[in-house]
Amino acid sequence: MAAWRRRVLSADQRFLGLLDTSPFRIAIVYSMVFACGAALLLGVVDFAVSRIVDGSTDNLIEAEVQGLREQVLVLSRSDFIELIEQRSQDQDVRGAVYLMVDPQLRPVAGNVPAWPKIGSNDDKWIQFKVSVPFGDETREHEMRAQRFRLPGGYRMLVGHDVQERQDVKNLMMRGLIAAVVLTLLLGLGGGFWMGRRILAQAGAISAVATQIMRGDLSQRLPVRNADDEINTLAREINSMLDKIEQLTLGMRTVLDSAAHDLRTPLNRLQATAEGAISGLVPGSPERKVIERVSTEVDHMRSTLDALLRIALAETGTVAREPVNLSELVASMVELYAPVSEERGIRLESSVAPGAEVQGSRQLLAQALANLLDNAIKFTPDGGHIRVLLRAFGGTPEVVVEDDGPGIPADKRELVLGRRVRLDEARKVPGSGLGLSLVAAVTKLHGARLILDDAAPGLRVSLKF
Amino acid sequence: MHILIVEDDEVARDYLAKALREVGHTVDVAGDGLKGLHMASSIAIDLAIVDRMLPKLDGLALVQSLRATGRKLPVLILSALGEVDDRITGLRAGGDDYLTKPYHMSELMARVDALARRGESGNTETTAKLKLADLELDRMTRRVTRNGKKIELTAREFQLLEFMMRHSGQVVTRTMLLEGVWDYHFDPQTNVIDVHISRLRQAIDKDFDKPLLHTVRGAGYSLREDE
Repeated sequence: MAAWRRRVLSADQRFLGLLDTSPFRIAIVYSMVFACGAALLLGVVDFAVSRIVDGSTDNLIEAEVQGLREQVLVLSRSDFIELIEQRSQDQDVRGAVYLMVDPQLRPVAGNVPAWPKIGSNDDKWIQFKVSVPFGDETREHEMRAQRFRLPGGYRMLVGHDVQERQDVKNLMMRGLIAAVVLTLLLGLGGGFWMGRRILAQAGAISAVATQIMRGDLSQRLPVRNADDEINTLAREINSMLDKIEQLTLGMRTVLDSAAHDLRTPLNRLQATAEGAISGLVPGSPERKVIERVSTEVDHMRSTLDALLRIALAETGTVAREPVNLSELVASMVELYAPVSEERGIRLESSVAPGAEVQGSRQLLAQALANLLDNAIKFTPDGGHIRVLLRAFGGTPEVVVEDDGPGIPADKRELVLGRRVRLDEARKVPGSGLGLSLVAAVTKLHGARLILDDAAPGLRVSLKF
Repeated sequence: MHILIVEDDEVARDYLAKALREVGHTVDVAGDGLKGLHMASSIAIDLAIVDRMLPKLDGLALVQSLRATGRKLPVLILSALGEVDDRITGLRAGGDDYLTKPYHMSELMARVDALARRGESGNTETTAKLKLADLELDRMTRRVTRNGKKIELTAREFQLLEFMMRHSGQVVTRTMLLEGVWDYHFDPQTNVIDVHISRLRQAIDKDFDKPLLHTVRGAGYSLREDE
């Protein structure tokens, strides 16, 4: 497990991490929704506005067409031409356009330079462009017009300059796009900013959590002077940590007094026994009895030591420091090599260099010693034991394999509990706490303890 | 040697005092921390054995006060606590050695002896060449000779011999070796240390008439020149 390993992120990973924060994701979704909403709103407005404006322009043209149709019936051609000229010049009617052409489509009167060659000449509504003087330059203006026939093969065009309307539409469209883009940018920016804040807060929290996991129970989460969710949560967690610290320290005190209250009388017993032994003749029955007492005190001490170490490991109140696992495993193998050779057991090892874990060197050494003691105890003379330290990408694994009787699959869980000794094991000495201690130490180091079949024998692996 | 025992457990204290007197030490006793500190500061004491949990003044506080006044006498701390980290805090407070109860008298005696004779044998941690009878060990060249003949040792055997030579003439227990040579503080269930010692004995004593590495029954080992 990577509980004690600080995650070191590269700049890229940090950026990607930022994209993965919940505020950033929320910001993106909200910006999208908001942008869609803005686009929809502006679309509706644009549609409504053009309908009203277009409608009124069309009505204006229709009315003018209607008027001219009536006029052409009562006026002479020259009077009608004059009327057209007059209306074309009229400055009050802004944007109105007229054109009267002869049957050859040559302009007769009006303010449009040429008959637009669009579609069939009988289309009612047309839109076309006309160059209109604009200051010193000319501008293409969009025109909307109706065409109709006059008596004698003449034709008439009545229309209106709709460029202004087009400009407004274009402006609105540009505004709409700008609004959407701006919304997205603001949303992303806000998301980034909030994401960074959350990441910073989460980083601070995980740094503290790491220290607490390392056994420094006095650490507390940073709390800002605000009442937001994170600070409220941090306060709650801190009061929980207060409680945990209190309980753990209480446990430690209980353990210390239990240790004291058991060790003190044992010490008296040992001192008394040893005092008595020195006054007795070697080999006498009395001396044998007292020696037996002294041996039993030794056993009690070993059991007590093991129980206390298990309890300490389980309460997690052991100071932690970087432990060179490679050095530790190599030196434990070296420590146990001669004793296994005495039994004709081959102790092979393969230790990857540079493996390091956070923890207690002494407890790890004790755990390894228990595993090696066990392996040597249960491996028959002339057998063979393998110790491996592998390190895959910073997660070391220690494996101890023997070719002893192994542990049946259904009893593997069982032996990790306290004081369980399988029947077959009763003939070899030991307190039965060896594997329990290994389990407690493994857990303290955030590692996994796996018992497996080495076919034949037992394979114990500690995965950090 | 003048030894002060600061221990509130009367039974353990009396046996300890008796055992130390039997081997020729002058012993003073104190039943609580304050009295202990007072005695340690006023009488010329060569070595103090201090229990960790004492009435009136805690054993660690006593050692700290003693060190604060500049007293450099060796201190052996006795503890009935849960160990593991307690040893480190004990040594950090100024203790020179640390022993967990219940202890064997032989273990305690060996440690008292080692503390008392620290720096006295001439074979200190800084001496480059250690010598005992015809056995010589050069820490610089990592060369070991006996009677001028070179002896091949593994790195660990060399360390083991070096430790034994620095404590030559004293009794060295198995736990002292495990602590001093391997830096481990646990009781191995198997006789791992004995096997290492017997290999060292093979190397340095086998081809010579006078053995130097002796087994002290019920206690440990001793590297010495027999008369």
